[in-house]
Amino acid sequence: MAADYVSPFDERVRAAEPLAPRPASVRGQHAVLLDIRKNRGAEFLDRVETLLREAGVSTARVTKEIFSKPAALGLIGEIALGGGLVVEALAD
Amino acid sequence: MEPARKADSTGGRGGRLVPELTVRGTGPAAVTIAGLTAGGGALLVFVSEHCPTSALALRRLGPLCQDWAQAGLTAVAIFEDPLEVAIRTARRLGWSGQVAADDPPYPASRAYRVAAVPTAVLVGGDGVLAGTVTGWDQPGLAALLGEAGQLLGAGLAVPPATEPLRKPGCSAKAAIDPELAAAMSGPGGGDEPEEMFERGWTDGLPVIPPTAERVEAMLGGRDGAEPLGLVPPAMGEATLERVAACAVLAGCRPAYFPVVAAAARAVLDPAFNLHGQAVTTQPAGQLVVVNGPVREAIGLNSGMGALGPGFRANLTIGRAVRLLVSLTGGAMPGAMDRATLGQMGKLGFCVAEDEEGSPWEPLHVERGFEAGQSVVTVIGSDAPLSISDHRSRTPEDLAYVLAWAAASAWSTNWWPLAEPSVFVICPEHAQMFRAAGWSKQRLRQAMFDEVRRPARLLRRGETSLTVQAADPDELVPKWASPEAIVLLVAGGEAGRYSAVLGPCTGMGSQIVSREVT
Repeated sequence: MAADYVSPFDERVRAAEPLAPRPASVRGQHAVLLDIRKNRGAEFLDRVETLLREAGVSTARVTKEIFSKPAALGLIGEIALGGGLVVEALAD
Repeated sequence: MEPARKADSTGGRGGRLVPELTVRGTGPAAVTIAGLTAGGGALLVFVSEHCPTSALALRRLGPLCQDWAQAGLTAVAIFEDPLEVAIRTARRLGWSGQVAADDPPYPASRAYRVAAVPTAVLVGGDGVLAGTVTGWDQPGLAALLGEAGQLLGAGLAVPPATEPLRKPGCSAKAAIDPELAAAMSGPGGGDEPEEMFERGWTDGLPVIPPTAERVEAMLGGRDGAEPLGLVPPAMGEATLERVAACAVLAGCRPAYFPVVAAAARAVLDPAFNLHGQAVTTQPAGQLVVVNGPVREAIGLNSGMGALGPGFRANLTIGRAVRLLVSLTGGAMPGAMDRATLGQMGKLGFCVAEDEEGSPWEPLHVERGFEAGQSVVTVIGSDAPLSISDHRSRTPEDLAYVLAWAAASAWSTNWWPLAEPSVFVICPEHAQMFRAAGWSKQRLRQAMFDEVRRPARLLRRGETSLTVQAADPDELVPKWASPEAIVLLVAGGEAGRYSAVLGPCTGMGSQIVSREVT
């Protein structure tokens, strides 16, 4: 007989969030590039941005408050509304 | 084992009826073959948490379950593990179907003659066995799902044909000798410490099982449903009951719980930025400093060996906080805790200040509390570095030695540090400052003024933007301000060893204090 334990975990089962459908091509899309403010992340995004523009993608840059905290909900909403693609840069 | 349906209900297909299930599901209703096949069919996937092939199958099949459900095929992952482990594993691997647990001696696995996991069993709406696939076998599963599609009259999504297409499974626990399996596996096995390990309710050391009785005693009449907030990074909700469960696991006495609860409230303050600390590659842990009368009341050690082992209150309070972070918050090393090396202070680190032996106002008074209040202060901190000084004869020399010992904190040439370095001053060192009439602020200022170097000498290897931007001969201080130097007094009366704990850097973490109530 199993003992009656109190779990230290939050055992609520959360529904999986489905991935958004992927576009067949990036050409003509608008991409938001998220700089999380990690050291040299902006350099990485500069290069990605250049490649995206060469591929026919318009771009916009947004920045997190600090890399070590989740993005503010307002910023997430801004990204979701503003772009068809998002690129997030990790770096160091 | 009873069949799922009587022999005359096979719908005329003449197949073999599958056995009824005896498993625990996540809801109050029993998990039955009739219930699972009500939509037209069911896919039973027998798995085990320890099996990499099971993980592969759950990861590949998990995203398809919702589509199958719409077509009438219910998928259920049946774990040879405790239900809590099953739920957590399923969530981690993105399994979107139902979850059930087959407790020892694994009657369901045995009834279905599962020799290896994963094993996928397709059951028709009439309770008849329609097919079985063992191990990870993408072509086999695609064929099985084709069969399911025919039964349901609908096309079903199949897992992508990506490598590996096939991977052998692992021995099912049900295939092991039942007595051995029961002894190995928690509930009913009679080995509670091992069961805690199997559930994953541990930091790697044995724990005290959090039975309902022990947790109730820990709560001491408090409302266990009281929410304290969400624990990052997994954002598990820290109810007071869950904090109490962590305190039991850590080995706390109920008398310690007010301190644990205050520390939990402190680390969950957004200003502390536990999220960053919990997942960082840095080694930082959460230092818990206790001030006030509660130290004496619960037996916290602020004397000999104040940073070391030997005292239950110190060790278990710090450990309870870390268990809250790693279990409720999901920051287990190697999973969401990405610390490159970590440090032993991440098992838990609780220090009581020797206020009676200190020449200065204690930390909580500095932070605005009354001396008679009991207060917990949390600080993101690295491991301690011991500082020996048996030779200084002036407070100026001692301040110099203490401060320069911290010059390499975080990184040799990374100056200045905005986050706090915590100095634990031993009583003999404190006595030298007392005798000279130095205030805490004077020592802090002396240390701040002492450690500074020309920028040109710091431009090697990892350097800060401040160092890079400074004129070559500009003196750069080790700390951004004197306030980044935190001073505590603790330790044995004999011996001239103080210590410094470097900071958790770049997280924007602030020191947070909470009264013990």
